[in-house]
Amino acid sequence: MNPQPDISVVVIVHNDAERLPAAVQSVLDQTLCSVEVVIVDDCSTDPSYAVAQRLAAAHPHRIRAFQLPENSGAGGEPRNHGIHHALGRHVMFLDSDDVLERNACRNLLEAAEETGSDIVSGLCVRRHLDSRHRSTNEWYPWLYSRTRTVESVTELPDLFVWDTLSTNKCYRREFLLAHALRFPKGMFYEDLQFIAEAYLAARRITLIPNQVYFWNVRQKAAAKSVTNSRHEITNYTHRLEIHRRIDALLEERGLHDLKLAKDAKFLKHDLVLHLRDLPLRDDSYRSEFAALSQEYLAGIDAAAYEAVHPSVAICAYLLRRGDREQLIPAVDTLINRDKISSPLAQRDGRVYWTDAAGHLEDPLGRSVLDVTDLGHHQKPIEQMFLRNELTGYAATGTTVTLSGRITNPLHSIPADAALRGELVLTARRKSLQSFTFPVRALRHDGHSISWETEADLGRRLRPLGIVDAVWDIRMRLEADGEGTVSRITAGDTALDGQDVPVRPRLTRLTGDRVEPHVSAKGHLAFRLVSLGSPAVRASGLIERTVRGAPGTLGKAGYRKARALRKKLGSGDSKLRIYHEVFCRLPVRRRTVVFESHLGKQYSDSPRALYEEMRRQGLDFKAIWSYQGSPQGFPQDATLVRRWSLPYLRALAQAEFWVDNQSFPLGLRKRPQTTYVQTWHGSALKRMGFDLPELKSMTRDQQRLQQDALGRFDHFVVRTEHDVRTLAKALHQDEARLLRTGYPRNDSLVRTRQTESATGRRERGPLAAELEIPDDKEVLLYAPTFRTGGGHRFELPFDVERFAEEFGDRYVLLIRAHYLNHVVLPPSVTGRVIDVSALHDTAPLLELADALITDYSSVMFDYALLERPMLFFAYDYDAYAHDGRGTYFDLASCTPGPMVTTEEEFLAAVKSLHAWADDYAPARKQFLARFGEYDRGDAARRIVDQLFADGKHR
Amino acid sequence: MTQQTLHATALADSAAASRDIFFVSNSVDELGGITSWSHQMARLFSNRGHQVHVLGITPAPAGRRHDLGDDLPYRTTTLYDVHPPAPPSGGGVRRRVDPVDRRRRAAHAAGMRKQAEKLTDLFRAARPGAIVIVTQVWAMEWVALADTTGLTVIGMSHESYETCRRSSRYGRVQRYYKDVDRMLTLTREDADLWIRKGLDHVGAMPNPLPFFPDTPSPRRAKTVVSIGRLHEEKGVDLLLEAWALLAPDHPDWTLAIYGAGEEEQALRRQCAQLGIEASVQWRGRTDDVPAALRESCVFALSSRGEGFPLALMEAMATGVPCVAFDVAPGVREIITDGADGFLAPPGDTRQLARHLATLMGDSDLRDLMGDSARQNIQRYATDLIVDRWETLFRLLDR
Repeated sequence: MNPQPDISVVVIVHNDAERLPAAVQSVLDQTLCSVEVVIVDDCSTDPSYAVAQRLAAAHPHRIRAFQLPENSGAGGEPRNHGIHHALGRHVMFLDSDDVLERNACRNLLEAAEETGSDIVSGLCVRRHLDSRHRSTNEWYPWLYSRTRTVESVTELPDLFVWDTLSTNKCYRREFLLAHALRFPKGMFYEDLQFIAEAYLAARRITLIPNQVYFWNVRQKAAAKSVTNSRHEITNYTHRLEIHRRIDALLEERGLHDLKLAKDAKFLKHDLVLHLRDLPLRDDSYRSEFAALSQEYLAGIDAAAYEAVHPSVAICAYLLRRGDREQLIPAVDTLINRDKISSPLAQRDGRVYWTDAAGHLEDPLGRSVLDVTDLGHHQKPIEQMFLRNELTGYAATGTTVTLSGRITNPLHSIPADAALRGELVLTARRKSLQSFTFPVRALRHDGHSISWETEADLGRRLRPLGIVDAVWDIRMRLEADGEGTVSRITAGDTALDGQDVPVRPRLTRLTGDRVEPHVSAKGHLAFRLVSLGSPAVRASGLIERTVRGAPGTLGKAGYRKARALRKKLGSGDSKLRIYHEVFCRLPVRRRTVVFESHLGKQYSDSPRALYEEMRRQGLDFKAIWSYQGSPQGFPQDATLVRRWSLPYLRALAQAEFWVDNQSFPLGLRKRPQTTYVQTWHGSALKRMGFDLPELKSMTRDQQRLQQDALGRFDHFVVRTEHDVRTLAKALHQDEARLLRTGYPRNDSLVRTRQTESATGRRERGPLAAELEIPDDKEVLLYAPTFRTGGGHRFELPFDVERFAEEFGDRYVLLIRAHYLNHVVLPPSVTGRVIDVSALHDTAPLLELADALITDYSSVMFDYALLERPMLFFAYDYDAYAHDGRGTYFDLASCTPGPMVTTEEEFLAAVKSLHAWADDYAPARKQFLARFGEYDRGDAARRIVDQLFADGKHR
Repeated sequence: MTQQTLHATALADSAAASRDIFFVSNSVDELGGITSWSHQMARLFSNRGHQVHVLGITPAPAGRRHDLGDDLPYRTTTLYDVHPPAPPSGGGVRRRVDPVDRRRRAAHAAGMRKQAEKLTDLFRAARPGAIVIVTQVWAMEWVALADTTGLTVIGMSHESYETCRRSSRYGRVQRYYKDVDRMLTLTREDADLWIRKGLDHVGAMPNPLPFFPDTPSPRRAKTVVSIGRLHEEKGVDLLLEAWALLAPDHPDWTLAIYGAGEEEQALRRQCAQLGIEASVQWRGRTDDVPAALRESCVFALSSRGEGFPLALMEAMATGVPCVAFDVAPGVREIITDGADGFLAPPGDTRQLARHLATLMGDSDLRDLMGDSARQNIQRYATDLIVDRWETLFRLLDR
């Protein structure tokens, strides 16, 4: 070995003699040989030091062992000692219960020498040794997705705030010495301060994606480590102290951006860790915690609240204001993210978490507590997850008495509502049994609903035993027939020793009592336990069996059975069943399978064709495919869930497939089946084989697409524009084209014809349904689908301003793409309406007196009505000039004004009547170009041509 | 540093540590990039005083042989006299118990062991510090059976991660390269992808410049050039599509396509359909790439998949600015978009056409980018790359 090793690995140990050799061995086994081990024992009371000395004696040139004269209480001081004795050009740290990846030293060293970085950091992987499946999770993997080097940590604030471990890194020793970098002595969270100082001092830092460090996590370990016994208040005190020191460092250097990022991280990580435990703690802990927090939170940047989840921001704000009364319910929402645990308050057309305690007079409070965007006010109660707090619990004999209080946000449950309730107990693991108990008394208290009942668990609850040891309890509340299900939060109600006897169906030996128990999310549950001596003995036996060889065998068998079931239900198996079983069954004449937008809707041209066939009274069997809920689909058709076996069988045996997008790509169409592809809109953006992604595929890779498109027998087009673009891009030849126009647009054409014949515009039933007053005109805003930002669609204009300015003249309907959704504040109610949930577009288009869109293909359909159109193309350049490109230049031929800013948009709406007529010739031109075959008879012509057979009975 | 001092230090290095280096490939002399690369590297290592031995598992298939000449400064050996029959493929219980199949499989395995023993003998005779560089994962199946005790084994993947992922080699790389001392990819980006896949011993090593002509292309002829096998992977169909978009506006320009292959007839038909026959010239296979490059002033690479394309390096070394689809980390590592060439998103023929038109319409830009290309590509100069290899060998010894 070289006189100077490349790397010194400092292994620290405290009372861990048993695991120390494994940690050291992981260093000796490194692919890089030039590594020395420096063991530092923190004055253990077990034989750790003796083990260390034995290891050193066995490998005299590679291992040295040291011991601190007295125990230092934390990992900092032993590491300092290790740095002092290290000889290597680089230094790493390893804890006695963890191990290094085999190539860690070589990879870190190579990166260090290539880049000259002071710190090289690799991926740390947490291994949960006690978990059932020995699961692992990577520590902030997004930081380690690729190799990168930064000249300063300020280039990568996420590294500074999130990866605060000292162990997955390799430090140049000269760098540590030159900056006198040391761990704080005798403090928990010593890593945080050391690494913050090291990051700030480093002139260059390199991250590598390699796994370097395995952090072994033992949840059930008797002696809990610092990080999982965080209930100690000292723990929290140390944490805050370390954070204060780091804040001071940042302050000193004027690194305000880094401070803000760290504040946000403190809120969403450090604070949340402690808040989650708060409901379980007693009052003295809570008050001490609140006092400590209040002081620290006062120094947190107000901007940090905007960077965290609203539930975190609300908790932090309430803590900062010392509002402990409202804090505990807010923590419930922190733990159960969708839960509504406050009655909420509506003020000035916005929704707030609370309007109590004068928080809304504080500008920060007003912004943090504004929860309008969560959209709670738009939800019916069945979609609300309400806080239900247990207020009383007692067990007498076989019966438990329970009482509680359910939050009633924004008076969603009216005072005069007829209330009914029941408690439902189900086993946590899948079970066939559930037990319900009626709720005896329910009372409306304004902001909450109080309830009380007795449940005779001892007589009525009959668990099986062994397999269903834990029973969850839920409450179902009905108000005027609308139901909502809540979990019961145990809160501060005492539950200890309040168990009741039960009789499991297997035998009472599997357990003889149920006791109340609080789940990880704070909810009440019951647990089957053995208290009588025969039961205790029996359960010991069962426990041994389950853990022993027979249990292992049994569990392995169970897992295999489960895997087999999963395999049978997988897409591949289903495809095989379709091709090898269902496709051998005879094709049934006059059977038609309809699908619209992958089964998500009952809408569009497939629906128009279906209705036309019904209207003509044809003899055929209709099957509709649905995905999600069958609600809204026709009652007189057979409904099959997409991808279910009945669905696949129906497709295999159908004479006709009718759809507007695509039946599953992998399904071969039988030669006897006719596929009518109605498609769902003319194209502005390039499609199919005109897309670069498809062009760049090899022929083999293109085959799946090509085969799927080759299944179409008929392809419906609206114009020659479609023929030149869509049909060509989807490889549809002349023989397959149906130049009939879209069946879904027949009603639009007829509406225009009636309108020009009578000179009057009739409003259909939808206007009344949406409660649109007769004296207001209707504008429809229908933007195109946008990816990014999740399912939420952010409106490109201030909707409250719009309502204020135009609410007296217009009602604005907003239709987001069916994959997006919008949230509207209560202030615009009646003036702006979200209509995204309506399946069919045609009635909306007929209702709208003008259309506002950007690039959605709805423009081609709306053109049929010859009404004003406004194009709000706020991101036209980005949209038109991305890699995909467009078939024509929309900006040069819009049949209405094209605006790009909110101001222009509002001005154009204001002057709508002034410009509407000027664009009439342009609209005619546009219609001639993009709507030539839509003549109002598409459905009839297609039915006559393809389904005429059904007329002869 | 001048050429001479470079050479001097190289000699000094080699005196310090002369090693035995084995290259193991599917074949010693099969036509293609890997053969050219391994013989170039073998020559470079020999020049530094190493003992090189180039090994092939089987003879090159008929018609795919590359004539290496007789004056190689190192040994070559091929294990099999004739290409062994492939083992019976396919799974299924029935095939596994079929006696004929079992016999054939057993014979194949015995044959492999016999050949691997030859490798073992060669490896045992090597001096301490010897290196085995396996250039293709198929060849690794034999090396894995041989005794490599005391030798350092390096496994290479000469293609992009993405290309490999879409091939049968993906699983075999993870299986056979799992235990080598170091696996090498062509770029850091590819290495990172393998690392994220769970292989923690992966590093990156770029290819060296194949040649560096004394004088660059004069960039006078109004010719865009494409050089490569006429195979769908090379995407000449996409280049023709792009050419059709810009040819009408550039009547004095020619697209010269070098290469031959199974797609030739289809491509000529496509050319006729697009009505660009007048401006496209089919030049066939060439043995004189430098000359083809000297007679052009823009190079187009329209591949659907690539590794670390030598063609780009050659064009840049000749001072010809390149336009390429950004299909692999190797492509974007070689070309700095907008500085010494242009990149277009994969398959985006309109963008490819726009970039070509930009260069075709601006001779100053061609000169600027061509000169930068010739300058920048020297970061892959052979001496620098051999130095990186030597550094790697030393790291693996530490």
